[in-house]
Amino acid sequence: MKKLFAKIWGITNEQLIRAACVLGLVALPLMVASVVLPNVWTVLIALSVGQAIGTLSFLLYLIAVARDLEIVRRLRGARKSD
Amino acid sequence: MSTGDGIDWVAWLSGASALAAAGILVTHLVRRPRLDAENKTNTKLWLLLGLGVFPITSAGTANITGFKETQSRRFCGSCHVMEPHRDDSNNPNSTSLAAIHARNDAFGSENCYSCHKDYGMYGYVMTKWGGMGHVYWYLTKYHSMPLEESNHDIRINRPLPNANCMHCHTTTGPRWLSVSDHASSLEAVRAGTMSCASPGCHGYAHPVTKIGKELDAGAGP
Repeated sequence: MKKLFAKIWGITNEQLIRAACVLGLVALPLMVASVVLPNVWTVLIALSVGQAIGTLSFLLYLIAVARDLEIVRRLRGARKSD
Repeated sequence: MSTGDGIDWVAWLSGASALAAAGILVTHLVRRPRLDAENKTNTKLWLLLGLGVFPITSAGTANITGFKETQSRRFCGSCHVMEPHRDDSNNPNSTSLAAIHARNDAFGSENCYSCHKDYGMYGYVMTKWGGMGHVYWYLTKYHSMPLEESNHDIRINRPLPNANCMHCHTTTGPRWLSVSDHASSLEAVRAGTMSCASPGCHGYAHPVTKIGKELDAGAGP
């Protein structure tokens, strides 16, 4: 588990952003398909799979930004100084 | 594209946002700008648009369009077991309650939803929750069921409450009360013990599907 965590932590921000872009490109057509072809399956997929992948893509971006801004280290530093 | 008869601006906004987001993402993947370069703030702002703002706009507007579509008869009829109900409503010569209501502009192409939805504060949410149950049953039980069998076996989960009819037909208007059968059964109708959509009154709302259990029950020993 630790190894897996370390491996994930070792992923660079560039790689995270690229993954986010690919996931975003997968999610967008799934979400918009229900507008173009409205039926049970496209609406269901848009509201579940499409949005889940889209959310994951945005989360990866936020993780990359948080790592870039060193938010965790800054928060730890702020706690120590308290 | 979109619900009903035309392309509405919400659907256009959804498509435009998705295109804008896709453009930004493809550009980023092709150009691969370094995030530690001097212009990294610009890159991150573009990515915020491409991964956050535009996709969220697209998803939100697609949700609105999708939820609107779930109210249409076309949507209800897209499961094969609902085809007889949909076709009956589409039939201009049908005299069933469902078809008569479908020809009324107040119900129109959303007549399934208008009659079957739950009214009240949480009605929309409860209706959608119930609809998810229907999708689950369809996927797990009725997906491959032949139409003859589904017409015979599938019936509404709970009888349609008279309250749904009374949302429009209030049972208080003088014209309604002037009908002797209405006046004599007023209490039973309001209490829900006598259904408006029963053979003795206005008939089944979907008589085209009443070829199974009801006839079997009538043909008992």
